[in-house]
Amino acid sequence: MKKSFLAAIALTLVALTQAFAADPTVRLLTDATGIDDKSFNAAAWRGILDFYGDTWAKQSKRGKAYDVVTAQTQDMYVPNLKQASDEKYDLIIVTGFTWADALSEVAKLYPEQKYMIVDVDWVGDPNVMQVTFSEHEGSFLVGVATALKAKAEGIKDPKFGFIGGIPGPVITKFEVGYVMGILSVLPKAKIVDYYANDWGKPELAKAQAKNWYDSGVYAIFSAAGGTGNGTIAQAKEYRTQGKKVWAIGVDSDQYADGIYSGTKSAVLTSMLKRVETASKVSIQNVKAGTFKSEVLVLDTKADGVGFATSNPELDKSIVTQVEQVRKNIIAGKVKVFATYAEAKAAGKVPGDLQASDK
Amino acid sequence: MTGTSRLPTEGPAMPRTFLDAFINSNGALSILVVLLGFACGTLIIMAVGRNPAGLYLALLQTLTGFNATTGVWNARYVGEWLTAAMPLILCGMSMGFAARTGLFNIGAEGQYIVGLTAAQFVALYAPPFFGAEWVVCLLAAAAAGAFWGGLVGWLRARFSVSEVVATIMLNYIAFFLSRYLTRLIPDANTYRTPNFPGAAIIPRWFIDDLTNHSRLSAGIFVVLACVILYWLVLERTKLGFELRATGLNRTAAGYAGIGVNRCFTTSMGIAGAFAGLAGAIVALGSFSYGRVIGGYDNYGFNGIAVALVGNSTAGGTLLSGLLFGMLSSAQPLMQSRQIPKEIAWIISGLVVVLVSLRAGIRLVIAWRAKVAAARSLAEREAAGA
Repeated sequence: MKKSFLAAIALTLVALTQAFAADPTVRLLTDATGIDDKSFNAAAWRGILDFYGDTWAKQSKRGKAYDVVTAQTQDMYVPNLKQASDEKYDLIIVTGFTWADALSEVAKLYPEQKYMIVDVDWVGDPNVMQVTFSEHEGSFLVGVATALKAKAEGIKDPKFGFIGGIPGPVITKFEVGYVMGILSVLPKAKIVDYYANDWGKPELAKAQAKNWYDSGVYAIFSAAGGTGNGTIAQAKEYRTQGKKVWAIGVDSDQYADGIYSGTKSAVLTSMLKRVETASKVSIQNVKAGTFKSEVLVLDTKADGVGFATSNPELDKSIVTQVEQVRKNIIAGKVKVFATYAEAKAAGKVPGDLQASDK
Repeated sequence: MTGTSRLPTEGPAMPRTFLDAFINSNGALSILVVLLGFACGTLIIMAVGRNPAGLYLALLQTLTGFNATTGVWNARYVGEWLTAAMPLILCGMSMGFAARTGLFNIGAEGQYIVGLTAAQFVALYAPPFFGAEWVVCLLAAAAAGAFWGGLVGWLRARFSVSEVVATIMLNYIAFFLSRYLTRLIPDANTYRTPNFPGAAIIPRWFIDDLTNHSRLSAGIFVVLACVILYWLVLERTKLGFELRATGLNRTAAGYAGIGVNRCFTTSMGIAGAFAGLAGAIVALGSFSYGRVIGGYDNYGFNGIAVALVGNSTAGGTLLSGLLFGMLSSAQPLMQSRQIPKEIAWIISGLVVVLVSLRAGIRLVIAWRAKVAAARSLAEREAAGA
């Protein structure tokens, strides 16, 4: 009785696997913020949805071809990776550098299992594909766009803020690029920065944003995962009251999150980091049999990073100018630094930022 | 030794009927609320259109390691369950021990963090100790936790500072202090330190093979020893008797000649030591490097729920720690079966709320028994008349 029941389940599983035999199976592993962070993890998830022809509203193949497991605490990274490896997915995707140590531990135990990690280039195992982005270039573009907008609005001595999550080399790329972008347009602009030391605490960003906006900061760029949503919330509040302040979105186009009336949004533009491209490319490689251990760099040229133009208040003329900067970056005419040390040495950024290169 | 004597308001009266026994048994009521919690969880899963079988298959896999969907057995999942339960049991005892002395220790999280931090520092810097540096690390963590907790007890005793406020504030201080100090370690970046030396990591001995290379370490024996110690101290020593007496009525205890203030400090110190050990067991059992913590691990806060459901007794806390550990380590297995990850937390939450209703449930049951008794009496009188 029990055996026949198990056999039936096994048969169903075989049938299910055959039905989708053409496409590989994928498990996404995220940190505690999960795929609802409207930013980084959400983008990775969208790439997977896109590959399978699903959308956020219609995730019909979820649970059959792909799914996601969220780790509530850091000590669950290793067990979650082992579990996914036991369950024999064709590809396991992890997002973010906090996973690097856990991944390099588990990847050695399951040499046949394929893994892909975003934002990391130092896990050298032969079964791991790594994807990094040129976030500094994308952040440079939104920095330019924001500074141009301040100029267009005739703001006197505008100040600009940056809110980071946990400091580290990746977030430093955001900050350095953004600051360089602003200073390339307004060399005398004042820059303030703050690190929340957390990816999931919007209240911290909201309090900091309120402080800064009150003290005359014109725009704040948050590269802090879910924490950054606090900046957008505060900008929305103040724009509703008629104050001229902006939030700059990150990773995904956060225009819709900033809408406070009609088409008016507190999110002027967003730094687009197309994490979806990373997940999509890795799955395609697995399907095509071309998956290998490599570091794929998605830069401006590869359209891995960019800036969002969905806010109608981002004037056409500004978009044209930023587009030109984009072309210059691709052509190598504009050099954006990826580390604070380099940018500081070149005199392109102030020396009192909290950015950290390690 | 006066420890064997029973205090008047503690423990059940002699049960007369099964119902009486049930109403008076905290254990039975705890089991009832846990079952109710699962029943509600099942209904919620059905309400969102998923198959509740996934929940129970995930729990089965957590408890036995057997994956009924694929027919594969893997003992590692049992190991992971116990690994998740270890800090919960210890933090539950931290909360519970203070509660038995009438103190509300919300500071287990902070005590956990100072324990974790102390363990990490000693692991990285302590001189060799017969190849068992991990023992020194555990002791250091317990001492650090005891200091952090004892400080609150002392403030309470000396200046009547509310232990609730003090522990909450010390949680923040512990968190930021830990981040600050750990980042001072050479070669530490913003989220990790260099690797621990091998002898500082809690050994796995035969457990490693037994549980198919799970993260379960010899820490489990420390936890079990602590459970026994908890019971021994509270139920079988003069100190425990004084602590419990203080918890029940501190004025009366004072009149009876018990040093109430000393009890506060001792109790919070011991409570802190439990939480500190939890920090060390996670730091040196589940990680091979020191962490610059980016947020609370929440074992301390969850310990409050563990103690509540376990009714602050040694055995109860052990069982409820295993329950909460099961829910938390079943979570990824549930997600793998398309059960929303929030379900495990909803069930834990419901269990806590329902346990708090224990007093209420008891009132209702007692009232119904009374009504039934009155009715049967009336019937008997009517029959007799």
